[in-house]
Amino acid sequence: MIKLENVTKTYTTEVTALQNATFDIAKGEFVFLVGPSGSGKSTLLRLMNRQERPERGAVWVAGRNINDMPDAKVPHLRRNIGNIFQDYKLLANKTVFENVAFALEVIGRPRHVIRQQVPAVLDLVGLGGKQERFPHQLSGGEQQRVSIARAFVNRPLILLADEPTGNLDPATGEGIMRLLDRINKTGTTVVMATHDQRIVNMMRKRVIQLDRGVIVRDQARGVYE
Amino acid sequence: MISRLRYTVREMWASLSRNLTLTFAAVITSTISLLLFGLTLLIQQAFDNQLSTWSGGVEMIVYLNNGADEAQVDLVYTELTRQTDVIEKVTYCDEACTLTDAQKLFAADPEALDLLTAEVIPSSFKVIPVDKDNSEVLSSLAEGFRGLPNVFRVQTPDQAVKILGELQGFFGVRTLIISVGLLLASALLIWNTIRTAMFARRREIEVMKLVGATNWFIRLPFMLEGLLQGILGGTLGSAFLLFLNADWTSGVQSFSGDAGLAGFVVTGGYPYWVCFWMILLGAFVGAVGSATAASRFLDV
Repeated sequence: MIKLENVTKTYTTEVTALQNATFDIAKGEFVFLVGPSGSGKSTLLRLMNRQERPERGAVWVAGRNINDMPDAKVPHLRRNIGNIFQDYKLLANKTVFENVAFALEVIGRPRHVIRQQVPAVLDLVGLGGKQERFPHQLSGGEQQRVSIARAFVNRPLILLADEPTGNLDPATGEGIMRLLDRINKTGTTVVMATHDQRIVNMMRKRVIQLDRGVIVRDQARGVYE
Repeated sequence: MISRLRYTVREMWASLSRNLTLTFAAVITSTISLLLFGLTLLIQQAFDNQLSTWSGGVEMIVYLNNGADEAQVDLVYTELTRQTDVIEKVTYCDEACTLTDAQKLFAADPEALDLLTAEVIPSSFKVIPVDKDNSEVLSSLAEGFRGLPNVFRVQTPDQAVKILGELQGFFGVRTLIISVGLLLASALLIWNTIRTAMFARRREIEVMKLVGATNWFIRLPFMLEGLLQGILGGTLGSAFLLFLNADWTSGVQSFSGDAGLAGFVVTGGYPYWVCFWMILLGAFVGAVGSATAASRFLDV
């Protein structure tokens, strides 16, 4: 599903965010990207949805080298990739329903599809009764669930999550992880950057560890070291 | 398609209402600049009307009585074309042609217009002399034609007409420069309004890009917003222009007939044609300003 071949990304001549990264993620896998701040986890995620381009190497997503992809095709690539962020990136002036519907609306889905899919995905994330609330009326965990619903409403092939539990207490974080696990079991590939040791050890999924832009460990059913 | 259209219109309206002050400033600037542009065209046309008989270097007009026969017309023509050393060009203007000129000249004098018909109007010869500044040659030339049979009148432009001609050039260039400058200012203001609108909604744009909205889909409401501002400016400017023109025309009509300003108005379809161009130019300025901003600031 995702393949990186000798990928190097530098921001300035002094800062190398990623160096010769090579790995393969199969369809339906759940992968943790771990490592300290500045190790290159977020850069890896940004390379996977073409927010960044590498200086060297190739990034393959769903069988296509996305570095060579024309800019006009990038939106279509992103429709197959859901994104979840530590700060949720919800729109404060829109309700829960509108925030999730927004993701379908901007890719031109008709109204009847939106009316059908949004309540379904809100039920899936456990926010069935809170459609009309605004983000500031929700707890952090609930806001992250809205963010997950927005990322998943279009049934993407891949979910990229950048520190989704970073702003949450352990119990709420566990709830989010259970939700991501459920989504993963529907066949969606999940790649999650985190430095939450407890969660990585609890889930026992594949772990790719980075240190100053270099992959130092790639372990199936790994733990946080 | 319908849902996209609904979304575009809704977002455009939301953006317009959120940036009301900037939108207002942009619309006012484009209104003023387009009004000035329209006024430039109208003033030029008014000058053209007033100077219609003296355009293109014509310095002498020989009017023949209505009903002058062909032989008499030929005689005047032969006399004029014979003097190649002082006359550069002669143009014959028949009754219909002279009537068109006169209608422009008396546009704001309905009583005079009523009296003007092809049956009473004279035909004329418009004369362009070799040396346009030699008044002595012109007056002796005019004197020579006054005695010919059926010559009704020989006219040369007086000082006031010459000054009017110079004023036309003076005003034309300056008002055009100012209106172009103001049009540029309104394009920049629209550009800035769109930039601010995009900055205010940068989070939304970021989310839109991440969920796979195309750049055109994101740009379109902003571009329409700029287009609407330009069209609004053009429409308001047109309304002001029509009002000012009507006011000026009725003002000129209240002057006495011999004030010499009867031709200094623009009537008929021309003011509406100018309004059409003002709205079109407003739309163009709005579209260019917003399209540039929407493309330049999409990477928020």
